[in-house]
Amino acid sequence: MDVQTLTYLIVGVTFALYIGIAIWSRAGSTKEFYVAGGGVHPVMNGMATAADWMSAASFISLAGIVSFTGYDGSVYLMGWTGGYVLLALCMAPYLRKFGKFTVPDFIGDRYYSQAARTVAVICAIFICFTYIAGQMRGVGVVFSRFLEVDVETGVYIGMAVVFFYAVLGGMKGITYTQVAQYCVLIFAFMVPAIFISVMMTGHVLPQIGFGAELIDAAGNGTGVYLLDKLDGLSAELGFSQYTEGSKSMIDVFFITGALMFGTAGLPHVIVRFFTVPRVKDARISAGWALVFIAIMYTTIPALAAFSRVNMIETINGPESTGVAYETAPEWIKNWEKTGLITWDDKNDDGKIYYAKGPTNEMKIDRDIMVLATPEIANLPAWVIALVAAGGLAAALSTSAGLLLVISTSVSHDLLKKNLMPDISDKKELMFARIAAALGIVMAGYFGINPPGFVAAVVAIAFGLAASSLFPAIIMGIFSKTMNKEGAISGMVIGLLFTASYIVFFKFMNPEINNADHWFMGISPEGIGMLGMLVNFGVAFSVSKFTTAVPDDVVAMVESIRFPKGSGEAHDH
Amino acid sequence: MDTSELQPITDFIQGLVPFDSLSHSTLARCCKSLSVGYYSKASTFVPLDETDPQLYIVRSGAFEVRSDDGELLDRLGEGDYFGFPSLLSGEKVSNRVRILEDGLVYHLDPDTFDYLRVESRQFDRFFNRAFAKRLRHQARFKAKELTTTSRVSALMSNNPLIIDVNASVCEAARKMRERRVSSVLVIDNHKLCGILTDRDLRNRVLAEGQDGSLPVHQAMTTQPKVLSSNALVFEAMLLMSEHGIHHLPIVDDERAVGVLTSTDILRGQSSQPLLLIGEIERQSNLDSLISVSKQIPLLLQNLISADARAEEIGRVLTSVTDALTRRLIILNQALLGEAPMAFCWLAFGSQGRQDQAACSDQDNGLLLAHEPDEAASGYFEALTKAVCSGLDQCGYIYCPGDIMAQNPKWRMSLSQWQSKFARWVDTPEPKALMHASIFFDMRSVFGPSSLFDSLQDKVLANTKGNDIFLAGMANNSLVESPPLGFFKKFVLERDGSEVKGIDLKHKGNALINDIARVYALSAGIKEVNTAKRIRALMEQDIINRKDALNLVDAHEFIAHMRLSNQGYQYTHALPISNYLQPKHLSSLVRHQLRDAFKVVHDAQSGIKLKFTRSF
Amino acid sequence: MLSLNLLKVRLFWRALRAKSERLKAYYLAQKAILATNVMEAPLLAIDLEMTGLDAQFDQILSIGIVPIENGRLILSKAEHKLVKIEGSVGQSAAIHGILDHHLDGAVSPEVAMAWFADKCHGQILVAHHSPLDLAFLQKGLSVHFHQTVKLMAIDTLGLEKRRLMRQHEVLKEGALRLGASRERYGLPVYAAHNALIDAIACGELLLAQISAIGQGDKVSVAEVLS
Repeated sequence: MDVQTLTYLIVGVTFALYIGIAIWSRAGSTKEFYVAGGGVHPVMNGMATAADWMSAASFISLAGIVSFTGYDGSVYLMGWTGGYVLLALCMAPYLRKFGKFTVPDFIGDRYYSQAARTVAVICAIFICFTYIAGQMRGVGVVFSRFLEVDVETGVYIGMAVVFFYAVLGGMKGITYTQVAQYCVLIFAFMVPAIFISVMMTGHVLPQIGFGAELIDAAGNGTGVYLLDKLDGLSAELGFSQYTEGSKSMIDVFFITGALMFGTAGLPHVIVRFFTVPRVKDARISAGWALVFIAIMYTTIPALAAFSRVNMIETINGPESTGVAYETAPEWIKNWEKTGLITWDDKNDDGKIYYAKGPTNEMKIDRDIMVLATPEIANLPAWVIALVAAGGLAAALSTSAGLLLVISTSVSHDLLKKNLMPDISDKKELMFARIAAALGIVMAGYFGINPPGFVAAVVAIAFGLAASSLFPAIIMGIFSKTMNKEGAISGMVIGLLFTASYIVFFKFMNPEINNADHWFMGISPEGIGMLGMLVNFGVAFSVSKFTTAVPDDVVAMVESIRFPKGSGEAHDH
Repeated sequence: MDTSELQPITDFIQGLVPFDSLSHSTLARCCKSLSVGYYSKASTFVPLDETDPQLYIVRSGAFEVRSDDGELLDRLGEGDYFGFPSLLSGEKVSNRVRILEDGLVYHLDPDTFDYLRVESRQFDRFFNRAFAKRLRHQARFKAKELTTTSRVSALMSNNPLIIDVNASVCEAARKMRERRVSSVLVIDNHKLCGILTDRDLRNRVLAEGQDGSLPVHQAMTTQPKVLSSNALVFEAMLLMSEHGIHHLPIVDDERAVGVLTSTDILRGQSSQPLLLIGEIERQSNLDSLISVSKQIPLLLQNLISADARAEEIGRVLTSVTDALTRRLIILNQALLGEAPMAFCWLAFGSQGRQDQAACSDQDNGLLLAHEPDEAASGYFEALTKAVCSGLDQCGYIYCPGDIMAQNPKWRMSLSQWQSKFARWVDTPEPKALMHASIFFDMRSVFGPSSLFDSLQDKVLANTKGNDIFLAGMANNSLVESPPLGFFKKFVLERDGSEVKGIDLKHKGNALINDIARVYALSAGIKEVNTAKRIRALMEQDIINRKDALNLVDAHEFIAHMRLSNQGYQYTHALPISNYLQPKHLSSLVRHQLRDAFKVVHDAQSGIKLKFTRSF
Repeated sequence: MLSLNLLKVRLFWRALRAKSERLKAYYLAQKAILATNVMEAPLLAIDLEMTGLDAQFDQILSIGIVPIENGRLILSKAEHKLVKIEGSVGQSAAIHGILDHHLDGAVSPEVAMAWFADKCHGQILVAHHSPLDLAFLQKGLSVHFHQTVKLMAIDTLGLEKRRLMRQHEVLKEGALRLGASRERYGLPVYAAHNALIDAIACGELLLAQISAIGQGDKVSVAEVLS
């Protein structure tokens, strides 16, 4: 069977699995299940959280970024992991005690202001849009390769699938569907990584293979370590050394910060912590989620390095002078169809050649790295198909969560609570669906005209979250004196500052988007952290000169911070 | 003829809901089939021809629809309709339309009406809804005083004593003595021809010095006044007092099916709720309370046969339970002495919500003013044990889940109750949520209201705006969904191969109770009765007015279906259950039931969106 | 108001003189209806549009009819016929709104009269300001039957005038026009006008008038026939 048929088959099977689980969990005797004292096991909930968490950006794009930029790419790994820890440990327990389900509701109540809520809603919607755009791009890449269409058509197909899945289908948000999606995506990610690790280093675990000697075809050690080999190749071809970054220290610091704090402000992951009834279980499942995320995140650097070596060697040949286009490996021709690899034979020698600088003849989109890896390594067709299914699982689970946040925020927080208080249930539902559809359409637009690679687009979303919502949440929990005027002005100015910096460099003047023009050398991906500091600064100054916080709110903040019968005290 | 020549009529019809949903050509056909009439105040009522039902469309003037006993059902003006109930049901017209102001009326014949119903779903639905509304409206007005509306069949004694016309009075007297009755129906060739009562024996046999061999037909009252079994008790009372008689043979299809005596009527009246409650309050020991409580099933039966609204039936039955509970507490306190501290007797679940039905079990608890010492504990243990067992003997069986005041777990001080509730709210585990659905519908039946208020206020302060708890509650109430499948077909529950039918309680009313509870807790509303909760939510603009009214209507309709289904089961000697077989329903009722379930479904989607943030 | 018997005699006499069986039958059928209750009698509300007001020179442009059975206007049996004319509608178009090109599909006067003779058989005519309409119809029917035809009708204008006079009301200019009369009975205002709509309007007016005259009691056809 060829790759395409297998892809249809495996993607079809996984979808059938999700739908099947949705139907089973709906029709099944849920009541008896509850009575049996069950509930969702923390391990399961951990998997579901991990599926929500790991988006198409993590799955498709992260390894590509690390692979192409080496050390620089690791900021994403650090930022996202750190953010998750911050969220799980420092914020979720407090928000939970406050009894609020969504970030805007927390902000609205904590800052005793409908305006604050509305600003938070708008921030949340803005962030979700950006995030979801990254997902659409990822789905587009998957479809374009495996249906052999160009990326644009791939995005259109992806939009249809996501719409069906998130708006019409009833299978989103069900814990067991999410668990299945996690299983599919982690399996799809690990299988090729393990295959390659065994082939190149003889180690089953890619994490160990990452630091090990390379072996030759006969299985004998060559004495050359993977990373040394990679550094050598990079130097030879004019790239900066793989293990050394090209980004300035301050930029790395700021990007990491933006990603971390942005993660903590992301609206759709927090909800997962509240679907577990007991605080203790919530903590356990957060821990498990971290384990499940770590499985993938620790594999990413290894996979990135393997595929980089493989890629350079297959393109440039054993002599590093390039191989003839006619004899070039199949995967290059396959990906050319999607427009994500282009070959420009500058020296007319009929050979393909990849390097840094003017001699380079290949343009390779980073987002294809994970998807192409199995092909580059000549792995069996079913592995290639599996990766497609994994990419879709990652994109679907995340976009479904995001679309729910967008659509319910629009219909409930904006329309029902602000503009049309007397709206009927049916209309509210209709507006929610319309909002979801609009969300997909706009995300699709940015998926087709991306302001960066998937992970970079997502990074912008995180920057926006870091500069707007995160400070408001943190100050809401930890400051008794922060008032609504401070919080609102902080959010507005933080968001505007960050958004305009990004728009200036990414959309208006992309030609000067480099370290020389950046403010203090901070890239648009990292500006969110500065925006956050601005937010804090503005908020504190404004709050100093405006009215004090009402007493009941002070009491409320105190009761959050000092637990009093906060849940699992003693069982009855 | 070109219909544009009827422009003014077409324009008018086109502007009316549901005619606005018709296609151009259908509308043209409809307008062409109309006939125009004029009704003058001078003739008082619109002459409704039973053999020729029509849809009446008011073009001008004013009318009012009144039921056969004169209750106002609807007022109509330009653009309103009447006459559709008999078109839809095919039953004869029982309402009357009074002309308030002269007016022009368009008539639509039944064939065209049916054609339009087939052509346009909206058209069909509109009139079905209007009809349902009219019916419910009518039911509301009908359920007034019990004695005037309850049916003879509910009170009469079945299997009447009968005797052949040629038998002797002596034989008749013997039979009456055996059966311990005061009358015998006299039958000639299977037909009722007279009645012989104690009084006849006294006046026409003994006082006249006749001997016992006298044939019955010489002593009996010939051509006695009779009634049919579905006549109103009120009519029976009227007939008896007019003719000074105490016995009425009940005849259906010329067959004697029963006898109604004035004693029966008196007995029936005592199962009127107020009288019953009064009687409960007069009893001075458990035994007499138990015997009084035997009347409760009869009360329910009377209420059902009187077509009372389901909501009212629930309230009436619950108020009887409340009275019994209070009486039991007072009687036992008389034995045990003064209570060592203030306490409240809490009613949960259906008793709390005031929607008890037949054979309810107990759901109750005890709220104490403060932590009891050992002596106080002993006192309350004795009290609650006695009251719970008293209720059990009165027909309210022990709670299978042991949620009862006699269980020390549910006999707590104010602060213990408060922290119990707080724990449920903070940790909405499945078990806590299941408890919540019972305990959050709480009402104090006995005790100082200030004590109860300090519990309820605290609980509502905890739940109000606690989105995480509310999301848990909402999710819990979404576990069951109304029995509508794809294409809105009824989904029947099966038990093995046997079709059990539609579960009207768990897939209907319970869902509406859940929905109302989630909303009420989110808004901190004190009401616990579902209909009252929804109305309060509507007044506070938390639920959209239309949604709220639909939900109240659906609740009443499904509850009504459940009660009348149980009535059907009762009269056909079937086991009483919440399962309804849709094949027993007319297509119209099926349609309405589907609509009611659709309302439940929509409301569920509503709380799913609002409280769990998904759809 | 003419007495019942006088009317009967008159119709009998007309029937005797009728040359065609058809016309004879028409008169006799009318005679049979006279004593019946208006609300039960078969009536035919009519209205004509003409090129002018003089039956001698002007021509019929259109005829609208709607039967009234048992006090109800039967719209399914309502009809509207446009009639061909010689020459142009000229200035009269301003009143009736019928332009020459509207008459493209119209029938000839002969066909129209044959149709009308058929339709009015066994029916009592109802018209607003009936003398005018009757004059045109009599002229047309006389040609059709080759004999002078006399028609009778219930005149809603006449009825209205008598009613107002009895109430000693001062008749204002235009108070007896169809629209103004309808308004007094609370009947809806019809924006559009053609022969059919005016026929319907006239029929509805009659129903309202009969209700007002009778106050629930029976009113015979003869009592309201002019």
